[in-house]
Amino acid sequence: MHAKVEPEVKRVSTYCYQCVNGPDLLTVETVDGVATKIEPNFDLKGEHPADGKVCVKPFGLVQKLYNPDRIKRPMKRTNPKKGRHEDPGWVEISWDEALDIVAEKMNATRAKGVMDENGNPRLAFTTGGAATPFKYMGSFPALLFAWGPFDQSLGAGGTVKCYHTEHMFGELWHRAFTILPDTPRCEYIISFGMNIDASGGVTGVRRHADARKRGMKRIQFEPHLSVTGANAAEWIPIKTKTDNAVLYSMLHVLLHETPIDKLDVPFLKNRTASPYLVGPKGFYLRDPETTKPLMWDNNTNTAVPYDQADADPALVGTFTVTGAIEVGADDETWRYDSVEGATGLEKTRQLLAGKTPEWAEEISEVPAATIRRITNEYLSHAHIGETEIVDGRELPFRPVATVLGKSVNNGWGAYECVWAHTMMQVLVGALEVPGGMLGSTTHVAGDTDWERSLTVEAGEDGFMTHTFTPTDKEGWDANPFTRHAHNSLTPMGGDKMGAQLFGSTTLAWLRLQGRAAESWPKPNPPDIWFLYKCNPAISHSETDRMGEVMAEFPFVAAFAYTLDESNHFADVIMPEATDLESDQLHRIGGGHYFENHWESEGWALRQAVIEPMHEAKDFSWIANELARRTGLLEAYNGAINAGVCGIPLQTDDYDFSLDLDREHSQDEIWNAVSKSASHDLTGGKEILDLDWFRQNGFKTRPYSRLNWYLYHKLEDLGLRFELPYQERYYRMGKQLANRLHETGVHWWDKQLDEYRPLPEFEDLNRLWDEIIERNHDVKAADYPFWLLTGRSMQYAWGGNVGIQLMKEVADNVYGHDGIVMNAGKAKELGIEDGDLIEVTSPVNSTRGYARLRQGVRPDVVVMIAQFGQWKMPFAKDLKRPGLNALVPMNVDSLDGGGSSIDGTKVYVTRIGAGL
Amino acid sequence: MTRYVMIADLNRCVGCQTCTAACRHTNATPPGVQWRKVLDVEWGDFPDVQRLFMPVGCQHCADPPCMHVCPSTATAQREDGIVTIDYDLCIGCSYCTVACPYQARYKVDRPEFAYGDLPTENEAKRFDERTLGVAQKCTFCSDRVDAGVEQGLTPGIDPEATPGCVNACIADALSFGDIEDENSNVSELLAENTWFQMHAELGTEPGFYYLWDADDKRQGTERVNIDVQDTQE
Repeated sequence: MHAKVEPEVKRVSTYCYQCVNGPDLLTVETVDGVATKIEPNFDLKGEHPADGKVCVKPFGLVQKLYNPDRIKRPMKRTNPKKGRHEDPGWVEISWDEALDIVAEKMNATRAKGVMDENGNPRLAFTTGGAATPFKYMGSFPALLFAWGPFDQSLGAGGTVKCYHTEHMFGELWHRAFTILPDTPRCEYIISFGMNIDASGGVTGVRRHADARKRGMKRIQFEPHLSVTGANAAEWIPIKTKTDNAVLYSMLHVLLHETPIDKLDVPFLKNRTASPYLVGPKGFYLRDPETTKPLMWDNNTNTAVPYDQADADPALVGTFTVTGAIEVGADDETWRYDSVEGATGLEKTRQLLAGKTPEWAEEISEVPAATIRRITNEYLSHAHIGETEIVDGRELPFRPVATVLGKSVNNGWGAYECVWAHTMMQVLVGALEVPGGMLGSTTHVAGDTDWERSLTVEAGEDGFMTHTFTPTDKEGWDANPFTRHAHNSLTPMGGDKMGAQLFGSTTLAWLRLQGRAAESWPKPNPPDIWFLYKCNPAISHSETDRMGEVMAEFPFVAAFAYTLDESNHFADVIMPEATDLESDQLHRIGGGHYFENHWESEGWALRQAVIEPMHEAKDFSWIANELARRTGLLEAYNGAINAGVCGIPLQTDDYDFSLDLDREHSQDEIWNAVSKSASHDLTGGKEILDLDWFRQNGFKTRPYSRLNWYLYHKLEDLGLRFELPYQERYYRMGKQLANRLHETGVHWWDKQLDEYRPLPEFEDLNRLWDEIIERNHDVKAADYPFWLLTGRSMQYAWGGNVGIQLMKEVADNVYGHDGIVMNAGKAKELGIEDGDLIEVTSPVNSTRGYARLRQGVRPDVVVMIAQFGQWKMPFAKDLKRPGLNALVPMNVDSLDGGGSSIDGTKVYVTRIGAGL
Repeated sequence: MTRYVMIADLNRCVGCQTCTAACRHTNATPPGVQWRKVLDVEWGDFPDVQRLFMPVGCQHCADPPCMHVCPSTATAQREDGIVTIDYDLCIGCSYCTVACPYQARYKVDRPEFAYGDLPTENEAKRFDERTLGVAQKCTFCSDRVDAGVEQGLTPGIDPEATPGCVNACIADALSFGDIEDENSNVSELLAENTWFQMHAELGTEPGFYYLWDADDKRQGTERVNIDVQDTQE
């Protein structure tokens, strides 16, 4: 007889960072070395805003480990011919052989020079998930830094599937790569399609549920009744792409129908550029000697510099100024003895004249009375004049927010919408104050994405510093550095480390297809393309043509979990250790990302809860191997020491740096990072090694809520938010136009026209009809529906469409398994629930089963998540419709910042009865 | 006396299915067997439409129809109200499945796995042959409750003594506790909120309560009941 052996049960702390709202800590139960369960990490209760819980996605990670469809060991292609219908002829190889193939390619490429004859990097790297894959790449980014210039322009969906215009202008105005309401205090939220209950992560869901419980009202304008609309106080089925009209009419109500003393006058006078006087050329009137922008002082009835003490600036009106200059593009200067100047707010009022709710009703189908009521409710909830003490500092308390969803804040019209929703905050003083609208994370304005308040510095004209890519004669770069030419075309992306990620990914693919930028040479494909945690052949637009481009790439090295539609074109596939099999220390808490502001901050370890399955390897191990084989070890170690793994390993206070000339194991690397992070966090009181983090999971310290807000930072420095008038942007656009025209570029003129100091309303439905007819041989009237997508919490950013559990639970949420359309409209077309229908755009068509609902406009169809897989195991058998194949790519649809929307006009045809 | 009940706050739930996935993990149920799940319910006509998310599962009725029709006495009721199934006694006749007005019961006749005919390592580790050919349903995680109580913990308060779905709920929509204790978390929630029970008219006295804001412009509990039934059918 043998005694019964009790199973060995362990609980291991790790984190999930499958979406930008992470990392969220969790625990994994293992039984006899087999991962069995995901559970919350209740050790974080009270510190984590959602008490240590995780969303539905990480529950798929156990299946992800044991999925039989995993790539188990490295593979190489044996069929040199690439194509969707070509069998790559994969054969399994050793890691040694795989790494040698990649290293030899890198060495040979390096010998040719890291830049090609067009001046583009020969090495390109693409990832997805809003850069969250970097949280899984261990020390691999250090290898890329060691390599030198690399091209990130071949995006997987960025600028189409992101909040691009918010990223660009949000950072300029209030260091807001993304925005969020101060939900724990907010009373009233107007949401134009922000699907926060699906996209806001664990803390977003929890905070909004708490807020609803205490009476917060959310008004959801959206063409379909999303998950978030379901829990809103009101759903208003606005006509697609008319958000700009409704927003402008709301501003009209505030600026033309409301006495100005009902707005936040002190905020407008002191913390914004509302009083700055604008001259006849559209630039600020400036003091001739100091070049400081001028305001009209009601006390002295004279124009005074913006920083004049004791001035009482006029907010509205036009004034005659004696002695002033205007400075335009390329330092062109106009001098006036006497000149008329209107305040920035007066210019704004003029822009909005006639933009009444009745005008907006005609365009948006939202009743004028509804617009007026909501605007006035918003105003009454703003608590203008009230304050709150936060950590001893008195701040304005303005618990209202206006937020935008995807496809409202990118593409044409987004400048209008992003400006207008930020102005909704400005007029009531609800920007960067308790209760109001806040920013998160900086990528454009600073090199660190972690602590945005550190980027608040005094810049020119009383605003925060902000560095655009140069457009002046000396600074502008006529030679596109990347394949999407971010340095030459889209200066709003700035010049910091992440600047490449804000160029137009669509333009990169169009150029590689020979469909854009005709005055420039067609770029070469990269000599080496690294691909990780993304699938652009599914996730970008006009996806059938993406594969054609990828097939022309000479060498593609993919880090891959399963076969998919993009690595189908790879030459070498390497299986990296996945979420629960690999190590990486990362920051938690602070003021990071959507709805994720904490009152503590610190570091947490993602760690292998089991040994990697099969022959999967930790990314840091892969990076080490490639660094050694390419002779880049010294530079690679140097990059790690400099902070590429999250924190410098050497400062004036501590030194845990790696020897430059030898290889360090992944444990050595993360041990050094652990010590550096804990030293930094505790001011040297505690130096915690990797083993400590393996045992304890995380280390935190308090984080003041004062850091959530920027108002007091600007107040201390005497700065103003750069609103409402966009003088710098206007000047930059003029300069960019000069540069492009000087070099014979005229194909970007429509985009240049967007660089206006105040965004003028444009009828976007008419614009889209024109774009369709101009680019395709069709009549726009034949495409009566808008095809839109909707966020799926279960799938978004997870790369988990091959995970059975995710499919199973996502199917409980309506629309995942078909095409959502209005039941009444379907009846008109003879379509019944479950019928097979075909949806056709000017570039492609897709089929799926009709899912009829009342909660969708009759002129809209919706496809949730991203499907259309034809290669990925499990996913390809789902046979679900994919929106992306139908979304056209063309230069016409790109806005001034290079972004476009992930929607298109379509028609719908019944094919037959369903299954 | 103790009677354990669960509460779902419909003003909080966002239908994310984290509870569904957590239940699948906690109880190692096979694909498609969701002892806890969240319905996605819509009613009204465009543009006056409402949508809500409604967690469902065994209601642990005080007067459970499933128990009354069980010919083998496999379905029983504990003193604390939890309705149980003894897999050793169950003959798999499915009378209970038909009798349950909440469609909360499942029966799986052959092994089913996430990827084909063979179990993955985690599925193999947790496969329980006793669940084949018998009725199964939500247990209110009675094993967790019992183990927790034995350690002096309070179900619904201490995670180790609380059902997996409640622990996992990211909206704080699900609560669990002893309704007989007037100071418990669930008693307080029911005292402070408007609530209803699903199909209360059937007299089953469910141990599952739905919080529902009476001021909400949605059309009330009766309507929800009807639509949930429609959706399930």
